[in-house]
Amino acid sequence: MRHSVNRPPTPDTRDDREKEPTLKEIISIKLIESGEKERLMELLRERLVESGWKDEMKALCREYIKKKGRNNVTIDDLVHVITPKGRASIPDPIKAELLQRIRTFLVSATPL
Amino acid sequence: MSAPNEDNVSQPQLSLHVFYELLDSIIIDLASECHRVAKLGLDRNLEEEEEELRLSAQARASVADPGNSSETNGKYIVDIFGQTHPPVATEIFECMNCGRSIMAGRFAPHLEKCMGKGRKARLKATRSSTAQNRYTRASSASNSPYSNPTSTSRQPNGSSGVAGHEYSNGSLEEL
Repeated sequence: MRHSVNRPPTPDTRDDREKEPTLKEIISIKLIESGEKERLMELLRERLVESGWKDEMKALCREYIKKKGRNNVTIDDLVHVITPKGRASIPDPIKAELLQRIRTFLVSATPL
Repeated sequence: MSAPNEDNVSQPQLSLHVFYELLDSIIIDLASECHRVAKLGLDRNLEEEEEELRLSAQARASVADPGNSSETNGKYIVDIFGQTHPPVATEIFECMNCGRSIMAGRFAPHLEKCMGKGRKARLKATRSSTAQNRYTRASSASNSPYSNPTSTSRQPNGSSGVAGHEYSNGSLEEL
């Protein structure tokens, strides 16, 4: 029962948390709330499948799994295998298209 | 339009940040899917491919090898899987018509004889089904010269109620 005496009263922490959300956070919330994040994800997913990027990444995974043995692989391993190659091998037009859409959204979401 | 240096993040950087965030989610999904398939052993091709690669390399080697005589190897031809087939099919099974054990390669000629194309088979068939008719006609033909001169006249259609009764076994009973 002692520690309840030392525990800071709850209202204080709530105050702390409401201090100035970063721009990133604001944008993130706006993206999600408006549904734009979902749309962007679906668009990106579709483009990546069409271009064969997804299949290439899957092949990378399978090679890695074959090498390491299928029971020795964690999801973390796979993420670390794919991320550098994945980021680098995105076709430019797809990247441009998505960036354009994101920019448009940002412009509309942060009027200044 | 662009938020100037707020939180040290410029606008284009922000776009990139959002983009990479999306990409990371997709990558995690993909990794998770591959991981699941691997753990559950759903990807049957994982080990099959190696096996097939090995077999195809093997096959290619044996084809390229001039020491391996292909079509002139006695009477057996080796196909790409390394199997040989004898020129006449040798599997033995039972004929559904006569019940004999027949070799597969000889089944067609056997069926011909068994089911009625050949001379002997046809005789066999006709003899059994038309046996009665032939016999009757033959015996009645031989009887008629004898019966006509006598008083008993026999109708050719056998409907004689007057004198003789014609029995199915061909014998004519004269009254």
